[in-house]
Amino acid sequence: MQAKSSPISYADVNNDIVRSLVVTGPKYYITLAAAISLTLICYFFPWFYQLYYGIGAAGMNHPQVWGTYLASFIFWIGLSHSGTLLSCVLHLTNSAWRKAMYRSAEAMTLFSLMVAASMVAVHLGRPWFIHWSLPYPNQMEMWPNFRSPLLFDVMAITTYLTGSSIFIYMGSIPDFAAVRDRTTGWRHYMYRLLSLGWRGTDTEWHRLGWAYTFLAVLIIPLAVSVHSIVSWDFALSVVPALHLTIFAPYFVVGAIYSGTAGIVTVMFVLRKYMKFEKYITELHFDNLGKLLLALSLLWTYINMLEVFTGWYSGESAELEALEYKLFGKYGPLYWEMILFCAVTPLLCMFKRFRTSFVPMLILSIAINIGMYTERFLIVGTSLSRKYLPDAWNSLYVPSVVELSILAGSVALFCTLFLIFVKIFPSVSIYEVKETLPAPEKGSPQWQATQ
Amino acid sequence: MAMIDRRDFVKLVGAGSVGAGAGFMLAETIKHPVEHLIPYPVPPEEFSQGIATWYNTVCSMCSAGCGISVRTLEGRAKKIEGNPSHPVNQGRLCALGQAGLQVLYNPDRLTAPMLRTGERGDGAFVQTTWEEGLAEAANRLSSLRASGQVDRVCFLAGGVRGHVGRLFERFMAELGSDRLLNCDFGHAQTLYTASELFFGERQLPYYDLENTRYVLSFGADFLGGWLSPVHHSLGFGRSRQGRSGVRGRFVQIEPRMSLSGAAADEWIPARPGTEGILALGIARHIVEEGGYAGADRAAWAESLAGYTTERVAEQTGIESATIVRLAEAFAGTRPSLAIGGGAVGNHTNGVDALVAVNALNYLAGNIGQTGGLVFNPVPAFGPTARAGQSGYRALLELAEDARQGRIEVLILNATNPVFAMPAAAAFEQALAEIPFIVSLSSFMDETTALADLILPSHTYLESWGDDTPEPGVGFTVAAIAQPVVAPLYNTRATADIILGLAQELGLGDALPWASAEEYIKASWREIYERAPPDAATRSFDEFWRSVLKAGIWGEETRREAAAFTVDASVIARVGVAAPEFSGSSDEYPFVLHPYSSHALHDGRAANLPWMQELPDPMTSVVYGSWVELNPATAEELELREGDLVEVQSAHGAVTVPVFVFPAIRPDVVAVPIGQGHSEYGRYAKNRGVNVLEILAPLVEPTTGSLASSATRVRLVRTGRTARIVKTGGASRQLGRGVVQTTGEGASAGPRATLKGIPITVEPA
Amino acid sequence: MSFFDDFLAKWREYRKPGYYERFDYAWTMTIDLDRCTGCEACVTACQAENNIPILGEAELAKGREMQWMRIERYWEGEYPDVKLRFIPMLCQHCDAAPCETVCPVSATYHNQDGLNAQVYNRCIGTRSCAVYCPYDVRYFNYTDHQWDKPLDEQLNPDVTVREKGVMEKCTFCIQRIRQAKDSAKDDGRRRVRDGEVQPACVQSCPAEALVFGDRQDPESRVSSMMDNARAYRVLEELNTLPSVVYLKKVDGNAG
Ligand SMILES: Nc1nc2c(c(=O)[nH]1)N[C@H]1C(S)=C(S)[C@@H](COP(=O)(O)OP(=O)(O)OC[C@H]3O[C@@H](n4cnc5c(=O)[nH]c(N)nc54)[C@H](O)[C@@H]3O)O[C@H]1N2
Ligand SMILES: Nc1nc2c(c(=O)[nH]1)N[C@H]1C(S)=C(S)[C@@H](COP(=O)(O)OP(=O)(O)OC[C@H]3O[C@@H](n4cnc5c(=O)[nH]c(N)nc54)[C@H](O)[C@@H]3O)O[C@H]1N2
Ligand code: SF4
Ligand code: SF4
Ligand code: SF4
Ligand code: SF4
Ligand code: SF4
Repeated sequence: MQAKSSPISYADVNNDIVRSLVVTGPKYYITLAAAISLTLICYFFPWFYQLYYGIGAAGMNHPQVWGTYLASFIFWIGLSHSGTLLSCVLHLTNSAWRKAMYRSAEAMTLFSLMVAASMVAVHLGRPWFIHWSLPYPNQMEMWPNFRSPLLFDVMAITTYLTGSSIFIYMGSIPDFAAVRDRTTGWRHYMYRLLSLGWRGTDTEWHRLGWAYTFLAVLIIPLAVSVHSIVSWDFALSVVPALHLTIFAPYFVVGAIYSGTAGIVTVMFVLRKYMKFEKYITELHFDNLGKLLLALSLLWTYINMLEVFTGWYSGESAELEALEYKLFGKYGPLYWEMILFCAVTPLLCMFKRFRTSFVPMLILSIAINIGMYTERFLIVGTSLSRKYLPDAWNSLYVPSVVELSILAGSVALFCTLFLIFVKIFPSVSIYEVKETLPAPEKGSPQWQATQ
Repeated sequence: MAMIDRRDFVKLVGAGSVGAGAGFMLAETIKHPVEHLIPYPVPPEEFSQGIATWYNTVCSMCSAGCGISVRTLEGRAKKIEGNPSHPVNQGRLCALGQAGLQVLYNPDRLTAPMLRTGERGDGAFVQTTWEEGLAEAANRLSSLRASGQVDRVCFLAGGVRGHVGRLFERFMAELGSDRLLNCDFGHAQTLYTASELFFGERQLPYYDLENTRYVLSFGADFLGGWLSPVHHSLGFGRSRQGRSGVRGRFVQIEPRMSLSGAAADEWIPARPGTEGILALGIARHIVEEGGYAGADRAAWAESLAGYTTERVAEQTGIESATIVRLAEAFAGTRPSLAIGGGAVGNHTNGVDALVAVNALNYLAGNIGQTGGLVFNPVPAFGPTARAGQSGYRALLELAEDARQGRIEVLILNATNPVFAMPAAAAFEQALAEIPFIVSLSSFMDETTALADLILPSHTYLESWGDDTPEPGVGFTVAAIAQPVVAPLYNTRATADIILGLAQELGLGDALPWASAEEYIKASWREIYERAPPDAATRSFDEFWRSVLKAGIWGEETRREAAAFTVDASVIARVGVAAPEFSGSSDEYPFVLHPYSSHALHDGRAANLPWMQELPDPMTSVVYGSWVELNPATAEELELREGDLVEVQSAHGAVTVPVFVFPAIRPDVVAVPIGQGHSEYGRYAKNRGVNVLEILAPLVEPTTGSLASSATRVRLVRTGRTARIVKTGGASRQLGRGVVQTTGEGASAGPRATLKGIPITVEPA
Repeated sequence: MSFFDDFLAKWREYRKPGYYERFDYAWTMTIDLDRCTGCEACVTACQAENNIPILGEAELAKGREMQWMRIERYWEGEYPDVKLRFIPMLCQHCDAAPCETVCPVSATYHNQDGLNAQVYNRCIGTRSCAVYCPYDVRYFNYTDHQWDKPLDEQLNPDVTVREKGVMEKCTFCIQRIRQAKDSAKDDGRRRVRDGEVQPACVQSCPAEALVFGDRQDPESRVSSMMDNARAYRVLEELNTLPSVVYLKKVDGNAG
């Protein structure tokens, strides 16, 4: 369903995308250098300081023992959600508009998951023993605690990370081969390894298609379960305002919502800076806009439910936690979240809005700010209002180290993504071609593809 | 041959042993700071690694004199617990008593004798030896002796009891000066005097809280810090829930709720200083409305005629009905007990008010009764130094003498008057006129900082001594204090310093003992000889060892509950005038209620980190000072928690953050005592304010003690705020049933046991 | 029986009612609120016994308290009819402890005496147990703590000093329980005598508000204290089955 007016040919696709891998301007290097430095300065340096000093470098206290690190963890997991999930769903429903964007969407999944996993390490009091949370045989017969939702989490995330990695890699094999055939020197060598000897035979295509669909079917429930399980870290507690049955769908919807918004952001950037205007078009933004609208309505509904159940319980603890969230010290953040995630996305009702690139970019960023706020409020307000009022003594204020690591995690994500766009064809070569009319055999275009 | 393996051997040697005289045994083996790679190649006899030895001694953190057992391991003191055999605390201990370890191991201790080098007060000292230090002090004293001016030597001791206190007396007597002043800020001088005036005996009677059924407490925070809190708490607990079917009730009368007020069944905030009047109002009701039938009824009726319920209600701000109810409950419940103290004694009518409380006990027939007020026999060591406490007026006279140049040498021991005296007394300035000041303190406190020579004492956990608890427990007891660890530093026991000085001065004949230990031992030989059963059955050495082991010695010497009557002249003198305050109520609308901080006591514990971090029980504040305001007052002045206000009296001002306190009279503001040190080590220095500075120099006329509750103040907002650091959060339960209550009488009868609650988390 | 069947069989046994009661002891503390004066002797006793660090004002200002035993205070009413209620709050050693299920590495677990034990060596510092604990009695070491010399001399050698990144909380003075069991064994007794174990807080309490012992033993003092119409457990509705039983305060004016 590529726009009819499109003049692009197979050769254009090959050339454009290979160009994006091979031709590297100074702008890229400057951006990469900036991203790496920011990662070092904002992420690793404060983290090392925290390793030396202890978690006290963050602003957490008693009993507010969880803070922005976990909020960031949920946020990045959430962001990971639309990538591969969306790609799978669209693959299974044969939506052709997916094809230009899915590669970068899947990459988002991968990198957000990596950043999320790193947030766990940042969060831990003694990250040097993080491996104790893995079930590996040892002479002490010490196993992790299989009853712990945190352990479910470890399992879910490692599975999801593995699944998504295989998915994106498998989908890229034909493209690696295509790039292999157009590059020389070390790149050629690297892509030769990556393409696993892909020759493009029918059997290969057939098997790839089958395995790809199989994985897609597998990953959808996995993605849903991952964020359900993340929600159980909270929902399985007996903490007022966390101990809610709605939490699993709440987290899943939130995750897909923020992930979809993230895709809009990334697509905008790719389109603009990688010069993919031809492949990423108004159509994509239009469709993503519709999706955002639907998700925002669902998200709003669940939020209303959350407030309603809290209020309807009539229980002192639930009511207090609710009141604190809505009108306490962090109350303004709650209303900021409502504005960004429930109100502004209604603009997507208008096609003109959906098809305007810059407004959509702004909206997508606003949604993710709102969604970060949501996670912060889940972690940052409930623990301050548990059962024993005497313990409610101190306001948790994130420290400079925490805020810096939050900013640094974005830089880390960008760094990973910047490296990715130079290795993986960030728009799927072969699947974009599938949407184009095939060149006639023997034509110059055909020649160019050989 | 019995087989004993290594484990058993170790246990046999050390298990649960209560040791005697650790200092004696360990002195040479574990002197600090020598560190042995292998600490004990040849360990001392009763010592095995990893197994605790317990030493019994006496707590010196406050004047109650609880018995303590100190757990030591490898020659280090590890924990202080109550000595179960000591009748005062019966194995229990308060927070302050447990923090005594941090006196011993305080990082800011004075470690060696020091001579001042710079100007006075600028803190420049140089270390010296004991020989030089003692010689320097002796020189000063002997030249005064030579010129016949020994009365220009003053010894300011901090109310040390027992034979060490005796030693001070003897030393001063031998020297030829009668200027031995015992001064302790929190001392209950007014209480002694009130006893003397009413009962004819200068002692603190025993309050039998354990067996009473109704307590009327006038200002005495007997569960918090007053006199003997651990013993009172034991009695309180047992009176509440220790008897089947009987639960003691108690009513606390005070302007600001104390720990005792919180524990009371009823809390009555009478106008400050009118508590004695309230007592007499109750007394009159008892006499007039038939509760009292003694032969001297007419005399009482006449003496109390003025204290009609209406008048008392008006003066105290307590409703007439309440007064009548209290009177009837007090006289109608047998046995009952009235106790008075704390701020009530610190008003200008303090002694009269406490006499009024005694009168209540008399009228209700509580004297000498189980569950009432019981007199103590003569203490084991005879009348003690404590009873001879000198008060504020004596210190003022000392200051005046100093200003007149009549004091040449001042010796300071365990007292810190520069901190404790109001600025209005100009005590610090007076000290400047004294040519030579010697301090025996273990710490650089505010007064020691002005000394010319510091001869630092051991802490109590390194010293020999003994004690007779005050108030007593109704029979004769004496406790022994012994070192539990070898001295940490180059310091000496106070008694050794005095004995050393005596040697230097050639008073060795009169004070012949070679060491504090020998002196104490000799003193206890007298007790041994006085007590025939002991002398008959065992040698002194056996007696001595058993005393060291038990830490306590006692005789069953309860007094007969003899009928007690008061003289008509005493009855005629009963009466409480309206309290006087410094400052007019227009200019200074609030009465200032300074109270001893629960953790820091009178400030002596401000250098102990545990005590700085112990949340104030009423407010949960740590590490600071604050001024407590009634919520209504705060609202009227538009002040909120953390707003910095200047608390101004006619004699000074301190700036403190506001704490809105639900249980204080609207016309009273309260500030805890204890912080505001300008010296005294890293934990105390420059923290909070010292409210004692701004007190008006009003005195209670009978005793000459400072009327520390008689200052009026005003609050001036500064516009600044300060964070009050506290551990508590929201202060209401919000119906969550955290602290559950039940009505009286419901305590009878068991219920279905809690074990029966089904577990519902079984997996499917 | 296959491994799996065996595993399932054990698992089913595990949380049956009365599971812990089959073992030798079920340590329990009763707290009589009608006796407790709020004096905090127990707080200092615990600090001293268990090497609880001195945090300093700055840490406390951040809300990072560390008191395995703390006194909570609740006001009721308004001046002048105002009451202050104290309640000692420590780990309740829940038999169905939420903190135990969440710990991913089993650093906090239930031992056979019914204690909620905390293995500092094993803890990786997720802090989730503190989130899951409804009583907020778990305290985290936000940094390494120093004892200004020579305050370190007072440290109890029977108790570990915890490093940064580790969670800690009341242990019911497990070192004292161990010692009592050890001496019982040496004396050839199978069981520890009632009253032989006294946690530091219980030992110090001047009002004798705290009683500690084995509730399996019907003759023990705790058992008789529990058999009281005033007995209740805090947040009983959460079904955490605490081993700390409170006795209601008697409100002298209520009845
Ligand atoms: N950093 C450092 N390293 C050291 C030392 C040091 O001082 N510092 N010391 C060294 C010395 S001297 C030694 S001896 C070693 C000790 O090193 P290890 O032998 O590793 O000693 P433990 O840590 O006590 O571990 C013994 C294991 O045995 C298990 N166990 C306990 N009882 C039994 C039982 O009845 N049966 C079986 N099968 N297992 C049981 C315990 O659970 C534990 O897992 O460490 C050496 N390494
Ligand atoms: N709580 C606990 N207790 C244990 C064990 C445990 O795991 N936990 N393990 C047990 C075991 S297996 C062992 S082997 C023992 C070890 O017990 P110890 O032998 O007591 O072990 P260390 O404390 O390692 O060393 C003893 C002393 O040797 C000194 N030292 C070091 N080098 C030299 C030297 O060259 N010459 C001399 N003269 N001294 C030196 C050290 O400074 C130290 O003071 O502990 C036993 N006790
Ligand atoms: S009441 Fe006084 S003597 Fe007794 S333990 Fe407490 S501080 Fe020590
Ligand atoms: S020591 Fe006893 S009376 Fe004091 S606060 Fe603790 S439990 Fe209550
Ligand atoms: S009180 Fe908290 S920490 Fe203690 S066992 Fe229960 S849930 Fe765990
Ligand atoms: S903080 Fe430690 S004990 Fe608590 S859940 Fe995490 S690893 Fe377990
Ligand atoms: S039982 Fe032991 S660890 Fe627990 S609060 Fe009491 S003293 Fe502390």
